[in-house]
Amino acid sequence: MAVLEEPIKDVPMIKNFIDGEWVESKGEIIDVVNPVTYETIARVGISTREEIDGAVKAAQDAFYDWRRTPAVTRCRYLLRLCQLMEENFEELSRIQTQEHGKCIDESRGETRRGIENVEVACGIPTLMMGDSSEDIASGIDEYLIRTPLGVFGIIGPFNFPLMIPLWSAPYAVATGNTIVIKPSSEVPCTQAKIAELAEEAGFPPGVWNVVNGGRTVVNGMLDHPDIEGITFVGSTPTMADVIYPRCGATGKRVIAQGGAANILVIMPDCNVGATIPGLLTSFFGNAGQRCLAGQTLAVVGEDDAFYNDFMEKLTARAKAIVVGNGLDESVQMGPVRDAQKKEKILDYIEIGIKEGATLRLDGRKASKIVGDYPDNCFLGPTIMENASREMRIVREEIFGPTMGVIRTKTLEEAIEICNESPYHNGHAIFTSSGKYARQFQYDVISGNVGINIGIVAPMAFYPFSGMKGSFMGILHTQGKEAVRFFTESKVCIHRWL
Amino acid sequence: MKLCTASETLSFIRELEEKAAKFYEDIARRFPKNGEDFLSFAKENRKYNKQVQMAYQYVITDAIEGCYAFDLDPDNYTFETDLPQDAGLADAVNKALAIEDKIIGCYNDGAEQSMSLLADVPRNFKIVVRKRSSRLEKLKSLC
Repeated sequence: MAVLEEPIKDVPMIKNFIDGEWVESKGEIIDVVNPVTYETIARVGISTREEIDGAVKAAQDAFYDWRRTPAVTRCRYLLRLCQLMEENFEELSRIQTQEHGKCIDESRGETRRGIENVEVACGIPTLMMGDSSEDIASGIDEYLIRTPLGVFGIIGPFNFPLMIPLWSAPYAVATGNTIVIKPSSEVPCTQAKIAELAEEAGFPPGVWNVVNGGRTVVNGMLDHPDIEGITFVGSTPTMADVIYPRCGATGKRVIAQGGAANILVIMPDCNVGATIPGLLTSFFGNAGQRCLAGQTLAVVGEDDAFYNDFMEKLTARAKAIVVGNGLDESVQMGPVRDAQKKEKILDYIEIGIKEGATLRLDGRKASKIVGDYPDNCFLGPTIMENASREMRIVREEIFGPTMGVIRTKTLEEAIEICNESPYHNGHAIFTSSGKYARQFQYDVISGNVGINIGIVAPMAFYPFSGMKGSFMGILHTQGKEAVRFFTESKVCIHRWL
Repeated sequence: MKLCTASETLSFIRELEEKAAKFYEDIARRFPKNGEDFLSFAKENRKYNKQVQMAYQYVITDAIEGCYAFDLDPDNYTFETDLPQDAGLADAVNKALAIEDKIIGCYNDGAEQSMSLLADVPRNFKIVVRKRSSRLEKLKSLC
């Protein structure tokens, strides 16, 4: 198969988008590196405090008129954005692959998820409706209005450069707020393209802003007195030690989504043929860099014949995974985002071995890299058997293409292991039994629960949940909960004398 | 090398349909009496292409098994479209039937393999196969 054409050419400078203008940052300039070729594909500035202030001021100034724009009109801008995203579907997808490394099927899937959120937000005239009661007392009526708040900051991670900011952005602007998006400085090109489309859709200046940068920009947003709220997706330490407390200290509302170490439970009655592709996607898709990826496989039961046969089939399929440039259509797993992340994953594999796990499939050196690319960020799938519940490869987030395998005697024991994990994002079970499925769903502590689904990614009209170490806040991104988050309930009581 | 990902499978099918469309355009020129039928087949091929490509684009998400949905050997479905200069209508029709057989085989096998993984894509494969049955009858009636 041919390698698809790269959309980013000639090393562009990724600019900030502030008040409807494209502005080059005066801050330090860093390279955006393609993890496949390790070549610089773009450059981006680390925005200064003044630039952040400028973006927030533009958003604040735009809020007055945008809030007064009828919801039906606001959603027309989003409908146009939707249309432009469809028209640019392939380019958006290839940009993600080029800057992140994920394979093209995964990028197209991400683009689709992003579009779905814009589509759902287009229903804002209905989604934003309040409640009313007549005669709460004689001659007195009461009603509730959902009113926008002002400027929101949206802080995106590196692993889903398109989709994750769109878990928030369309709902924020649809409800009448204005936004400042800060994409990950590792992958800023996709959100630059989205901002271009937002500009083409005709959003008034200042409604949709993008400032690029890293930690200093996050700090600037967290401390800014004119930002009403923050949505964040990233690591648990940053969520728990930085984002959540700082939002509390400055009175901001917050949705903070952190890491995960998901456990996928295999019952001996599962449909093996359909389960294995689900596991491959879960553990090794996106090179394991997603908060809904499987990290530990818990195989239930003492039937050695089932276990050995299952592991043999799974290992054979994992071993055959084609690793390489995600723009090559035959590739099933791209590289991890950068060499440091690869090192961290390699460290975890070593830790697993030291703690007593045994390598069934060693992906430390990817054996099937398609194409002539430097081996900086590539890994093959790794499977480690004889893992146990106290091991760091089970309890800590690895964020790479690794699978630790635990055997448990009973489903109850497997659920216990899920529930004692510090993370509770997307545990799942594979079974043909409704009884087991219900027991798992009922007893497991997990924001998202999968039954015969390896990646428990909620659709745009459901909240993207998460619990304990994987989430801080009350409301979640996406759907109705996002609408609640981006609005305040204003309750009015009327009596006409 | 086998086709495993949705992306490469859909690209492969696009190539098959386009190659067959060009074949129909060629025989439409060579056998003008039946030209309208052959041109309508070429048009349908491109319509089917759009239908399955859009089904893929509308359903693909990061959560479904797009990278592991297929296991197709392309050699089983490739075909040649060369027709000798002195070939008659019957030769052209037989060639067309052979091509259709390959394409239908690809859709059927692809649908079978991806049924539980890709939702709308295999359903659309099946729809294309069903729609093609009237074409087969039409082709056979031309001999």
